[in-house]
Amino acid sequence: MKQPKLILCLLVILNITLAFGQAKKPTLMVVPSDAWCIQNGYFLVFENQGSTEKIADYKRAFQENPEVLQVISQINGMMADRGFPLKNMESVIKTISSNSAEDNLRQSKESGSDIAESPIDELKKAAKADIIIQLTWTVNKTGPKKSINFNLQGLDSYTDKQIATATGTGAPSFSAETPVLLSEAVLSHMDNFTASLQSHFDDMFENGREIIVRIQKWDDWDGDLETEYGGGDELGFVIEDWLQKNTVKGRFNTTDMTENMALFEQVRIPLYNEGGNAIDARRYVRDLSKFLSDAPYSIPNKLVMKGLGRATIILGSK
Amino acid sequence: MKPSYLFTTIFLVLVVNFGAQAQWKKEKALDDTKIWRYDIECEGIAKQGAKLVKVWSYSKNPKHAIASAMRNAVHGVIFKGFAGGGQGCTSFQPLVKDPSVEEEYKEFFNEFFAEGGEYLKYVSSATDGSIAPGDRLKVSKREYKIAAVVTVMSDQLRKRLEKENIVKSLTSGF
Repeated sequence: MKQPKLILCLLVILNITLAFGQAKKPTLMVVPSDAWCIQNGYFLVFENQGSTEKIADYKRAFQENPEVLQVISQINGMMADRGFPLKNMESVIKTISSNSAEDNLRQSKESGSDIAESPIDELKKAAKADIIIQLTWTVNKTGPKKSINFNLQGLDSYTDKQIATATGTGAPSFSAETPVLLSEAVLSHMDNFTASLQSHFDDMFENGREIIVRIQKWDDWDGDLETEYGGGDELGFVIEDWLQKNTVKGRFNTTDMTENMALFEQVRIPLYNEGGNAIDARRYVRDLSKFLSDAPYSIPNKLVMKGLGRATIILGSK
Repeated sequence: MKPSYLFTTIFLVLVVNFGAQAQWKKEKALDDTKIWRYDIECEGIAKQGAKLVKVWSYSKNPKHAIASAMRNAVHGVIFKGFAGGGQGCTSFQPLVKDPSVEEEYKEFFNEFFAEGGEYLKYVSSATDGSIAPGDRLKVSKREYKIAAVVTVMSDQLRKRLEKENIVKSLTSGF
């Protein structure tokens, strides 16, 4: 009887080891660019304090343009083949609206209470992914000759950096239809795109995940980032020292620092914590949050996250 | 010696000689291309998961150059890549970006690129084997430069190398 138990224990240990060995996988989604949407008439116009603004109408683009569906479907297929299935934006938009309708109707069986939702929760109900693959193409026409100008940009949703790219103009053709030219463009560009994405992942595994950390304060808190603690250091410098100690190779940039806010960019965090668990910005910044709430600082604070790569600490209260 | 014994002996000697000569030719073809002296360029857009390439191989014997084209094409996709250009071609980065990998996995690649080796699974001739007149050049008194158009199944090749941990997959580490 002892032997099966031993094997079971070994299997559990192996399973835990394997689970710890995996970094948090980013989600990817193909999104038609604003330029493409506006060029093709898929936009909404509204007045914003006297100026006219155009915003992309993705829902209408997906409903009315079969070419965008073809390109996205082809990209999704090729990425799935690489073991990286993408979020399908059209489905995400539908899910958000159906979830919203369900939430509006849902009530507690016992108290009749509605689902709790703050204005921030409402705002966060948007189609999102960790990496946005922005898609743009234009059809160039010279007489009967047609060619496709194709541009794929992989954008990190948190750092706003372009992390992968593939762009170029396809061979001109007198006879091929636009969908055929588009298909050729996707085929010829995807290898370069995945190669640059691979370079980004290689860099991430070597130098850590790049995140953004923001520090803010509630208006009613009587301290600020210039308040001096213990050894005479201002809070801003205390936070900088913590980042210096806890980032990969001490890499981070202090982009902005005032008495009320601080912005740290290019903060390279390890992919795993000391326990071997995969971490993201929220888990990483939670340690900073604890550090500030413990003595000698004893600053109560609220931790707010945005996906894998952005976290904000608001000082003063929860 | 009886005439029948004489004929049998001559016949056997000839058979052995032809066999040895065929083997020598194969080795010569391998020798000619051993240093991976070739040029690779994109020839157009192939089906999904494949690359259509034109490979220029150098050899003293035109036949050897043609025989080596397939091996060179697979080697090119793995280690060299190619530039973009006409016919909608975009540049292609090699599957292996670190040149030292070839030396590191020497045993695997020696077997992979051996005569009749596994590389043949990932390449096929895109034409019927005929060489266009402009694709057969005599570059010196004793050397030819000959081009052949072949299709390399790059996706399958990448997956094979991922299996050997020579190339990292996009999902490795996640």
